[in-house]
Amino acid sequence: MARLIDWVDERTGIRALTKAALEESVPGGARLRYVFGSVLTFLFVQQVVLGILLATYYSPSATDAWASTAYIQDRVAGGWFLRGLHHHGSSVMVVVTVLHMIQVVLAGAYRKPREFNWWTGLLMGGLVLAFALTGYLLPWDQKGYWATQVATGIMGTVPLGEPLQHVVQGGDQYGNLTITRFYALHVFVLPLSLGALLTLHIYLFRRHGVTPPASLNESQLRDKTQPFWPNQLFLDVAAMAVTGAILVWLTYRTHGAELFAPADPASNFVARPEWYFLFLFQLLKYFEGPMSIIATVLIPGAVATFLFALPFVDRANSRAVKSRGAALGGVGLIMVGVVVLTALALVEDARNEDFQAGLADAERDAERSRELAAVGVPPEGGTAVWKNDPKYAAMELFKQNCSTCHEIDGRGGEEAPSLSHFNDRAWLRGVVRAPQSVAYFGGTKRHRDMEAYTAEDLPDDQLDAVVEYMLMVREQGAESPDLSAYDQALAKQGEALWASEVECSGCHSIEQGEDGDGRR
Amino acid sequence: MSDEHEQPRTPASSPPTPASAADGRRTFLKVGVGALGAGLAAVVVAPALRYSLWPLADGVKVTSGGEDFVIVGNRRQFGADPIKVDIYADRVDAWNRVANVKIGSAWVVEREGQLHAFSSVCPHLGCAVDWSAEHGKFKCPCHRSAFGRDGTAEEGPAPRPLDALDVEQRDGELVAIRFERFKQGTEDKVKI
Repeated sequence: MARLIDWVDERTGIRALTKAALEESVPGGARLRYVFGSVLTFLFVQQVVLGILLATYYSPSATDAWASTAYIQDRVAGGWFLRGLHHHGSSVMVVVTVLHMIQVVLAGAYRKPREFNWWTGLLMGGLVLAFALTGYLLPWDQKGYWATQVATGIMGTVPLGEPLQHVVQGGDQYGNLTITRFYALHVFVLPLSLGALLTLHIYLFRRHGVTPPASLNESQLRDKTQPFWPNQLFLDVAAMAVTGAILVWLTYRTHGAELFAPADPASNFVARPEWYFLFLFQLLKYFEGPMSIIATVLIPGAVATFLFALPFVDRANSRAVKSRGAALGGVGLIMVGVVVLTALALVEDARNEDFQAGLADAERDAERSRELAAVGVPPEGGTAVWKNDPKYAAMELFKQNCSTCHEIDGRGGEEAPSLSHFNDRAWLRGVVRAPQSVAYFGGTKRHRDMEAYTAEDLPDDQLDAVVEYMLMVREQGAESPDLSAYDQALAKQGEALWASEVECSGCHSIEQGEDGDGRR
Repeated sequence: MSDEHEQPRTPASSPPTPASAADGRRTFLKVGVGALGAGLAAVVVAPALRYSLWPLADGVKVTSGGEDFVIVGNRRQFGADPIKVDIYADRVDAWNRVANVKIGSAWVVEREGQLHAFSSVCPHLGCAVDWSAEHGKFKCPCHRSAFGRDGTAEEGPAPRPLDALDVEQRDGELVAIRFERFKQGTEDKVKI
C-alpha cells in the first residue's frame, strides 16, 4: 500500500496536497462553533450527488415532469428516500446557512480583512434560496406550480420586471420552456456558480483563518492552538453526522417529500411557498396595489443592502460583542422580523378553515392521482392521469354518447330528460307536477302514460310526504340504508298516501312483479 | 478525507507519557472521522445502488408491449416477395402508458404456401435490415450481414439467422404477429 502511494505521490505530489489541505492550525483550538461551514459543504456535496441520482429518472418537460416524479416517489426502489433527502436537504441547508451567518455575525468575522468572505457567503446564501425556488417547480405538481407562479408573478410587477419574468419562464406563460429553464438553472447554472463561490470562500477562509473568540489574547490563542486534522475535522464530521441523522429522521417521518396532484392550471389550489419563504409571503399581505413594491423590492432590497454593507456599518474598534451594538442590533432586528412574520403566516393558516379544507382536498387529490399513475400516465402527461379514473371514463362516455340530448350540470342538449340532480327531492317533485315536460319524460319515446298531478289533485304537503316516501324506498334498497336521508314521520304519511288517496300504486310498483306496470 | 494512520506526526523529542496519551486521543479522533464519514456516505450510497439497479430487480418491468399478437394486415397482401409491416401496440414506457404506438417492424414473406415473419432487428447488433429486391436478400445497412429469403445468415458477421416471429391467421383472413425482441450478437435466439 505504502509503495503504491509512493508511486502515485512521485507522479502527482498527492502527499503534499493532502498535507496542505489538512495541516492548518486552529488558533485558540478546535471549537464546535466553527463546524457550520463544513456542514454546509457536506450538505452541498450530498445535494449534488442526490440531484444526479434523481436526474437519472426525472424528465424535465411539462408533460413528463409530474409523471416521472411520481414514478421516482412511488415506484422506483428507494426513490422516495433519496428524493426526500434531497427535498429536506434544502430545508436543512437553509437552517445551517442561518446558523452559520449568526455565528459569523456574533464573532465579527465579517470585519476587516474578511469582507470578501462575508460577501461571497451572502451570495451563496442567496444561491441556496435560488436553488430552493427553482427546485420547487420541477415536480410540476400543484404546489410547485402555484407557489412558483406567485414568485414569477412578483417578478413581473416590479419595474422592468416583465421582460425578466418572460425570459425566466420562457414566454408569457408557464409551459415546457419554464421547466427546461428552471431545470437548467437548478442543475447547471446554480451548482456551478455555488461551486465557484465556495472555492473562493474556502480559499479566503484559509488565507485569513478562523475568527477566534475576542476574549482570548495573542498568547492564549497560541497556547491553545490545535491542528485542523484531526481535532477540528472530528468536530466537523461529528456535526455532519448529527445533521445527517436529523435529515434521515425527517425523511422517514414524512415518507420523503410531498408530491401533490399534477399541475392543473384550471384548479384553485391553495398556494403556499416552502416554509422558509413564508415571511416574504406574509409581508405581501400588508401592502396593497402600487404599495406592494415595498414588500417585494424595497424591504428585501434594504435588508440585503444592510447585510452587504455590514462591514462598513460596523465601525467599532473591538470585535467584542458589547462594542458592536448597532451592527448586531440591525441583524437581530431582521431575524426577529423574519421569525415574527413566519409565525404570523403559520398561525393565520392554522386558523383559516378554508385553507385547511383546501389542503385536505389537495391531499386527497394527491393520493388519488398517484394511485392512478401506477398503471402509467397517458402521453398528454400531467393532468391526463385523471383519465385513468373509471369515473372520468364515464364522464367522457356521457359527453360522447348522451350529452347531445341530455343536460347535466348546465351542459348538454334539452331534448331529453335533464339528468342534473336526477332523483333528488326537487327532481321528484318536478316530475310529479309535470311528467311530460321535456325536462322530465316529455322528450322520450316511452314513459308517456303518466299525467301531471296539479296542486288541486295533490296539495304540496301531500306531495312532500310522497316524495319523502320515495326517498325512503330508495334508501331501503341501498346496501347500508341511511336513516337520516329522509324524514321518517313524513315518509310514513307518504306511504299511506301512495297506496290509498293518491293511488300511485295503481300504476307504480314498489317491489318488482307486484302491483301495476308503471315505473317504480 | 483519506486515512493517514501511517504518516509520522509526533516529533521523537516529546516527553513519553503525555505524548502517548495525546497519541491515543488523536488516533481516536482519526478513526472517528473515518467511521462517521463512512457512515454518512453509506446513508446515500446504499439506497443509491438499489435505486440505480432497480430496472434489473426481480419482477420489475420498465417497458412493456409485444406480449400479444398484433394484426398487421390481410392474408392476400403477402406473397413471395417480403413486405415490411409496422407493429402497433399499447406500450408502457416507465411512467407513460401510450395506446397504439409503433413498437417495431417485421418482414412478412410467403414460402411454400406458409407465411413467415422475421423481426427487422439484425441479430448481430440491432440495425434494421432491409429487403434488397435486386439481390434477393435481406441486407443489414451497418455491417454487411445478408440473409436469404428464408432468413438464413449468408454473409457478414451475423451469428444466427433473422429472428422468426410467431404468426397467426385469424378468421382465415387477418394476419397477426407477436413482436418480440431477442438478445443480440449470440448464436442462440434468446428472448429478452
